[in-house]
Amino acid sequence: MSLIADDIIRFSSVLRIAYNLLTGREYLKRKKFREKKKLISVALPLSDLVYGFPDLVPVFPIRTHTFKMHKYLTYLGSASNIFGWENVSKFLGFIKNLGIGDVSKIIDEIIDNVIETVNEKYNEMYDIGIENGIPTDFCYGIKILYGMHVTKGKNYDANLNYTIRCSAWNKYLESLKTINNATKQIWIDVPPRNVGNALELLTENIYEGIRELERLSGNSYNNNLLRDHFQVANDIRRYYKAILYEISTSDFYPCNPATFSEILVILNNSFQDYNSNAVRYRDNMASLINEMKERIKNKIGMDVSKMPKILITPMFGGWEPKTHEIIYELGGRALYADWDLLLALEDIPIKTIKDPVEAYAYYLMNMTTNGIGCDNDILTNSYLRIAEKLNADGLVFNQVFGCHSVSNCFTILKEKIRRELEIPSIALTFNKIGENVEQVKTRLGAFMEMFR
Amino acid sequence: MDISEFLLDFNLFLRKQKEQGKKIIAFISHDNIPEELIHAAGFFPLRMIFAGNDELMDASHDYLPPSTCSFAQSCIGLFSIKPTQYKFLDLIDYFIVSNHCVSDICASEIITKYFNIPRLNFYISYTINKNSLKYFKLELVDFKDQLEKINGINIKNEDLKVSIKCYNNFKKKLLEFSNLKIKGSEKLKIVQKAILYGPLYLEELESNIQKFSENHIQNRINSKDVLITGGSLFLNDYLIDLIEDAGGNALYFDTWVGNNYYSQIFDDAVFDSIVNPIDLLVDRFKNNIYGDHSVPNFLDNKISQIEQIYQDYLEKTGKKLGIINHIIKFCDHISLMAAHLKNRLQQKEIPVLNLERDYSKANRGQLSTRIEAFLEMI
Repeated sequence: MSLIADDIIRFSSVLRIAYNLLTGREYLKRKKFREKKKLISVALPLSDLVYGFPDLVPVFPIRTHTFKMHKYLTYLGSASNIFGWENVSKFLGFIKNLGIGDVSKIIDEIIDNVIETVNEKYNEMYDIGIENGIPTDFCYGIKILYGMHVTKGKNYDANLNYTIRCSAWNKYLESLKTINNATKQIWIDVPPRNVGNALELLTENIYEGIRELERLSGNSYNNNLLRDHFQVANDIRRYYKAILYEISTSDFYPCNPATFSEILVILNNSFQDYNSNAVRYRDNMASLINEMKERIKNKIGMDVSKMPKILITPMFGGWEPKTHEIIYELGGRALYADWDLLLALEDIPIKTIKDPVEAYAYYLMNMTTNGIGCDNDILTNSYLRIAEKLNADGLVFNQVFGCHSVSNCFTILKEKIRRELEIPSIALTFNKIGENVEQVKTRLGAFMEMFR
Repeated sequence: MDISEFLLDFNLFLRKQKEQGKKIIAFISHDNIPEELIHAAGFFPLRMIFAGNDELMDASHDYLPPSTCSFAQSCIGLFSIKPTQYKFLDLIDYFIVSNHCVSDICASEIITKYFNIPRLNFYISYTINKNSLKYFKLELVDFKDQLEKINGINIKNEDLKVSIKCYNNFKKKLLEFSNLKIKGSEKLKIVQKAILYGPLYLEELESNIQKFSENHIQNRINSKDVLITGGSLFLNDYLIDLIEDAGGNALYFDTWVGNNYYSQIFDDAVFDSIVNPIDLLVDRFKNNIYGDHSVPNFLDNKISQIEQIYQDYLEKTGKKLGIINHIIKFCDHISLMAAHLKNRLQQKEIPVLNLERDYSKANRGQLSTRIEAFLEMI
């Protein structure tokens, strides 16, 4: 993974996002105990409402865990407080360029450590989820989330729950009540279809959720605060889409493609709570896109015009993180775009809809009816839409064991791909990180042959 | 009557329905489908309550991964293989895609898509609150529209109310029948038949009630009574035989094919006080708090319901009632809650067996052993 490490250190924004991901516990402890803020557990890209309350902090549960963080990343974090991340990043790049063996090794280890430590933690949570009653039949995502709540659930003041089409997801949310010292649950029911005045009902449901958040926070809801946050959230979405559709579809990458995939993974992870600070996250995203564009302009990076673009999806419920490295080694570039597949990267339409809650209801309804869909016909259209937008040359469908919702539709999808996109596709099965790497290698080896 | 004869009869019955101009509207059985609307539209509602087997499950793997609910797999398999006994599935005119669970959506969608059966939609919210009731009403109205478009005739409120009354009376009778102390397998057969034939079975049901009441067939004295909760025992499922062979007797069927179905009745006061029949159906949804679809209180409600039945039984008989939580493999709703249900009931000293299985024959031995061990323990 040295190539990946070598590249990532030159993106100070990525280092920042990764650092914020891993040091979440300290940050959140400060928020909770020193600043007396309340932590709201969120999952999937559904944290926005919490940002309407300055004394509530949304958190994707893995971030309350302690990671075995590389000591040098801790040092870097401290150094960045004094010199700023950009200077630290430049310094690292400088050292790397000098070719000082030991230092280079250390830097590689740091970056390896970021990705691996998160995945190790996920696998640890997987085992805890099973030990605490989640049957092995369920998907990786549900097991790890349950594990996260078993271990750190007491830290949250509430869980913000949205019902979605996945019945296992909805039942998993209910099952959180069985954990000792179960935290308060705030439910927002999303109607399965947009029939009649379902949108109005959803708006009312969101208002109900807001009332609960108000009670929890002790502060009144303020339209302007929420609208301001939605503006920030829309900026984030715009930057995210620029990375997906401007950078990833271009012939020249600002880094090697495996690094690029790694960045997409970090974004996929961190987008769920914007690292608990949306403005900081937005600024990091702005830096990231600037850094990328600057490098492309200066022809620093890699010509990828001959490398087929392989869309790997869905991966948000768990996937084998080695996949993009393997694809890179086989001459391809792997892309991840799950959140846009679900239409979570669409704007919250505050420009056209005055009431931000109504705008958010519209956003959620669009995700439900046109993104994840109320059936597999719509869902498979979403996969096609993303493959088309990315101008993908191939699609790797990640069939998560135990997922009965978003990753069980390969039969329908395969037919549609053949008929409408005429690109090769393959399904890979996934159960747990690291469990099946050899098989993934073999299958991808055969698949990537098609592009030679 | 063995299963082949039963299905042959049902085949003839359905053909007669078709000859009378009734369209057959099928759906994967669950407890929120408004069959009264189908009935009021002049159609015949066909609940898919047929158990699976290895062959049926295997046949579904062309469409969905094997890690899909075994019942959903089997439903797809029935359409894929179309075994001779199930030829009546060819008579289906429409199939409802609904979201009791995500496997319901996926399997129903596959059945409509790959076996060329026109599709109707009926979706429900996961929560039960004032807005989800309003949403349920929207779906009912939309569903009514879909049915009306099929035959071009408006479903009048009076007709719908008649249908609701008709099903209500039928369910009341079925509830009465379910309270008879007869062998579980006998009871189940009649309940399954009743649910399949609907109110047209009322006469036969009444005569069965009379027959069994007169003959007063009691439990086998030494049998151990159990309540079956979780997944339904569908038609042609061998599990009921395994329970009886092990010395058990299924006294309660707390499942779709069972109490979930016939307990959802209106008393006369409610029936008379709610004028709009659509609102009656909404009211029923509101009260369906024991159904496994709903969140976030399903587990709490289910535990209090089972505890109540258990305590009543203990008081009446002085004996413990065993709880068999029937988990059809890869069922999202029942499976995910199984460990929690068991823990909570055991804390109340209620004996529970979480019995997970698919429909493969190979499981029989293991299931028998587990049931025997559980019954010995009671």
